[in-house]
Amino acid sequence: MLIQEELDIQEKLRILSDAAKYDVSCSSSGVARKGKKGTIGNTLAAGICHSFAADGRCISLLKILFTNQCIYDCCYCINRRSNDVVRTAFTPDEVCTLTIEFYRRNYIEGLFLSSGILHSPDYTMGLIYQTLRRLREQYHFNGYIHVKIIPGTDKGLIEQIGFLADRMSVNLELPTAEGLRKLAPGKTREKILMPMRQVQRGIAAQNLKALDGPARYEKALPEDRRRTPSSLRHEIGMADSAAHPGRNVWTALQSSSHQRFFVPAGQSTQMIVGATPESDYHMIRVAEALYQNYDLKRVFYSAFVRVNDDSLLPVLPGGPPLLREHRLYQADWLLRFYGFQAQELLSEERPNFNVLLDPKCDWALRHLERFPVEVNRADYQTLLRVPGLGVKSARRILAARKSAVLDFGDLKKLGVVLKRAMYFLTCSGKMMYPIPIEENFITRQLVSTEQRKTWDIENHNSYRQLSLFDDYQVAAPVEQEDQLSAMTGVL
Amino acid sequence: MTVFVCGEEAEDIWCGIYDAWMSGLGHANVRLEPAGCDRELFCQYQEVKREETKAEKVIDSIRRKLSEDIYEVAYRAALSHDVYRADKIYRFLIYAFVVGVKVMDHLHNPAVYEVFKLTRNLSREYTHIIEFTRFSQMEEGVLLGRIAPENDLTPLVAGHFADRLSGENWILYDCRRKKAAVHQANKGWVIVYMDSAEWQARLNKKTDEETYEGLWKTFHQAIAIMQRRNVRCQQNMLPLRFRPYMTEFQ
Repeated sequence: MLIQEELDIQEKLRILSDAAKYDVSCSSSGVARKGKKGTIGNTLAAGICHSFAADGRCISLLKILFTNQCIYDCCYCINRRSNDVVRTAFTPDEVCTLTIEFYRRNYIEGLFLSSGILHSPDYTMGLIYQTLRRLREQYHFNGYIHVKIIPGTDKGLIEQIGFLADRMSVNLELPTAEGLRKLAPGKTREKILMPMRQVQRGIAAQNLKALDGPARYEKALPEDRRRTPSSLRHEIGMADSAAHPGRNVWTALQSSSHQRFFVPAGQSTQMIVGATPESDYHMIRVAEALYQNYDLKRVFYSAFVRVNDDSLLPVLPGGPPLLREHRLYQADWLLRFYGFQAQELLSEERPNFNVLLDPKCDWALRHLERFPVEVNRADYQTLLRVPGLGVKSARRILAARKSAVLDFGDLKKLGVVLKRAMYFLTCSGKMMYPIPIEENFITRQLVSTEQRKTWDIENHNSYRQLSLFDDYQVAAPVEQEDQLSAMTGVL
Repeated sequence: MTVFVCGEEAEDIWCGIYDAWMSGLGHANVRLEPAGCDRELFCQYQEVKREETKAEKVIDSIRRKLSEDIYEVAYRAALSHDVYRADKIYRFLIYAFVVGVKVMDHLHNPAVYEVFKLTRNLSREYTHIIEFTRFSQMEEGVLLGRIAPENDLTPLVAGHFADRLSGENWILYDCRRKKAAVHQANKGWVIVYMDSAEWQARLNKKTDEETYEGLWKTFHQAIAIMQRRNVRCQQNMLPLRFRPYMTEFQ
């Protein structure tokens, strides 16, 4: 491995942001924190995207690896041990300066710090702890920080970092344990889920205490844990947990000036889509379980990009499976905000999403017995399940119909997408147009409006000749043989 | 029809609303218009004089008789770039004083819907501006950010940055209206009109920013996954009109 110590900061930034880009999460949401005198920065609950890269993904945080050196050899990862790439590392001060200077210029919303594994998980996370502590306490940074937890890190260390960061995440990487065993030999499912459980419990305990009253949880840490460790020794994490073996996971860290919360923006994770043969059904079942059992804020899906030439990895001639990723995100929204369950969307028999229709339309078409829905009477949950209606428009409908009887013109004002919703709604008992509630008919209508969008996602950068047959769904011309078989009744 | 001709600023609009309302001519017989619109036959035109007391009375009755939220809506609508915003706000307030504080739920009403559209447009642009404003450092560490919003967003955006960068000296300059919010570290901010030659010369001084601008451009390029390149998506999320003021596209 070629380790470059003497690279200039620009080159380091290029290498270490390039190496970090396959991490999907870039959200800066989940916590609203006002600015404070003497510090720089604040956070908004909705988060802020500051720019968009050439791939259309948002840039909210300074997304970098601390180092791209790694002891693991995960097949899908560009930083795997056996790859011959230039290796380098930031110093804590470089990370802090970059963050602050970028933040002052409103380039970023905060820091996203991940890392390859140098020597051991504890050693690397120790370095990250040093960096964050310096950023918060010496540089007085009050903006957003997202940290990746390396599986296998000591509990005490994770807890300390949790009080400095806003969001923490452990990557699940692959939805099944077998997939993980095959492609990421250094990691196991248990090792990944352990810190996730720890963070969940920490947050839950904190919320409980907050209910008890704020005064009680201003418990300071013992003096020895507040001191800045003198050097970058990897013992910090180890020694620490040894000293407090049976201590409660939750302890509030009282910093010099103000009280901090444990992972206030919650935790997230990500799964790679298309590197292993799991179905969509499998993926959303896993996501659902994570939301239910681990209280995750988000599960991110990352279309597999083949960066390494490895026989264990699938070859994807059509590029990364972007449409599949898109459908998974749509389904993910349905799980989190629309009251859907994974089994309603897919099943063992139908394990993958419809390519032509979004999951909500697809569900509605299979449940036409529930439609049409009367806008002026239906409850919130029923409205949410209508394609073309979202959380915002459903709420607006509830508010507006208190003072008026709504018609389709009003719905348009309220932000309802009538293009989809008109097949599933009535206003005062009337549909927008005389439409048969019939699966084939509505499917045809919806597919033709959806088709362009789908095609765009899959082929967003190519141009091609218009085809009368493909684009306008003109069926193949009737051949003489067809006429013959129609006449004789023999196929 | 009597047309009350009022200025562009929020305060002018409040004064116009006061005059129109208090004229006693009946809401159907009055209209508010900005200066410079085409004049019509059979209309009387009346200039609105700007007086602080009139504006205060209007603001006070909205806040007291309706609510702080509705004042917020009306104020935001007054900052919008719609030419006929004054009249739209006037119609909205007439209806609001009839139905009370829940007026924003009455989106089916045209007067409410018009004001809702103004504020929605403004909020969307506000989000973009706080995302895409780029500061660069001038002499003595003063940060200069240039924006060119369609709506008059400077006061709102300045409020955002005053909380965020409270310890910095910065200038947020609106190139369209040639006015700026000037913030002094740990103090506050004021609106300054910068059409004078002296200010223009100061604003046009070169900033000494090669290091961090270079680093940011490097980062911006390196973070894109080329296998997923999607320029159209990028353009949807980050419209071209913001790019002339953004470091990474210069």
